[in-house]
Amino acid sequence: MGDNWGFVLAAYALAAVVLWAYWRRLARKEKELDLK
Amino acid sequence: MTFARRAWVVVWKDLLVERRSKETLNALVFFSLLLLFVFQFALGPDRERLAATLPGLLWLGFILAGLLGLGRTFVLERENDCWEGLLLAPGDKSAIYLLLMLVVEAMLLALFVIFFNLEIAAALPGLALVVLLGTVGLAAVGTLFAAMTAQVRARELLFPVLLLPVQVPVLLGTVKATEAVLLGEPLGAVAHWLKLLAAADVIYVAAGVLTFDFLLES
Amino acid sequence: MRRATSVFGWLAAAGLLAGLVMGFGVAPRETTQGNVQRIMYLHVPSVWVAYVAFAVVFVASIAYLARRAEAADRLAHASAEVGVLFTGLTIATGSIWGKPTWGTWWTWDARLTSVAILFVMYIGYLLLRGMIEERERAARYAAVLGIVAALNIPLVHFSVVWWRTLHQPPSLMKPGGSAMPGIMIVALVVNFVAFSLLYVYFVAKRARLLRLEEEAAA
Repeated sequence: MGDNWGFVLAAYALAAVVLWAYWRRLARKEKELDLK
Repeated sequence: MTFARRAWVVVWKDLLVERRSKETLNALVFFSLLLLFVFQFALGPDRERLAATLPGLLWLGFILAGLLGLGRTFVLERENDCWEGLLLAPGDKSAIYLLLMLVVEAMLLALFVIFFNLEIAAALPGLALVVLLGTVGLAAVGTLFAAMTAQVRARELLFPVLLLPVQVPVLLGTVKATEAVLLGEPLGAVAHWLKLLAAADVIYVAAGVLTFDFLLES
Repeated sequence: MRRATSVFGWLAAAGLLAGLVMGFGVAPRETTQGNVQRIMYLHVPSVWVAYVAFAVVFVASIAYLARRAEAADRLAHASAEVGVLFTGLTIATGSIWGKPTWGTWWTWDARLTSVAILFVMYIGYLLLRGMIEERERAARYAAVLGIVAALNIPLVHFSVVWWRTLHQPPSLMKPGGSAMPGIMIVALVVNFVAFSLLYVYFVAKRARLLRLEEEAAA
């Protein structure tokens, strides 16, 4: 069976984007609320 | 008042209201009739195909009718400001829940009869068992969720969204068991599904009885 | 408290980095599946975190109903949200893995189906929370739903397994399958630890945010 590096890359990239985006969202909200 | 007595009082109240107005029942019977039409149109006149999909259609009809009917379980209490009445009822408020469940179940059973125009006399005892097991599960979770969404905005949307995923085990079990029963297989062949349905009923009813009080308090 | 949270954040980041090194640098290429098997180091820890998260929702829900501690409710809320995030990640990575391996993005395999049902069940949980304005009522209703949903997980699991395995045995990636080399297991364990740390970090951060939001609203 082939290696399908594209799929591996896609999976890891997707995970990185999703987790990073969630973290960013939390961090941004936290900043807003801390300022208040 | 004992638990059974309180439950009976609430059942009686709901039966009385329903008998006087007949609004839910009439509409639901008519709705099921329309569902039959829709299934027929969607699948075409081919009788064999209809027969092959019958177990699924049957439970689809149950679930859809159940969504409409169960969603209305607490509408009367809310619209007429009787919610506090339920709260003031002394003692164990789970009685209401058991009661309403039984009302809904009887209604769904009646609908079931209307849906039929097949030769089912031989399969009837097995079918009754499957329907009973499935309906208890549906009604138990349905009543619980109906109470939960009754006071929420967008409840018409939220109720099915909550209920449908939770009902998947019951739906799978009942469809598989109904299929076997209609094909004339012995109940032993689907014993594992019946056990699953029974387990689901026990879990749902227990969870419902234990948590219903938390929904009513305010 | 905040200090401890950020420590977990850094540990999680280090763990994830170590996991990447292990998954790509150290673990060998799998013989039958090829390098696409490396998605497993992402996929299996995700589903682990998802199940842990929903178990935490269950325990925190019971704790809330018993003690009425708002901290328990915030924990349940945060854990459900993070759980949904990781369930989504599980489905997405599994799908990406399935395309080259099975030749299809989606199949109604037992495990895929049960994870998908979990996903919609807990999205419903978050929707319910979002639709109730009163703080206390939202907590109470969500706790009931959190308990019912968790009790439903084993039912979903068995029903879906029976539903599918009658047709085809599940042939998913099995961690601990017959010939998995030890080094792969080590890589998997490193990722398990990293994802668990990330879970703790996210939940702690989210729960703190919920507290700040409540304080800001009050």
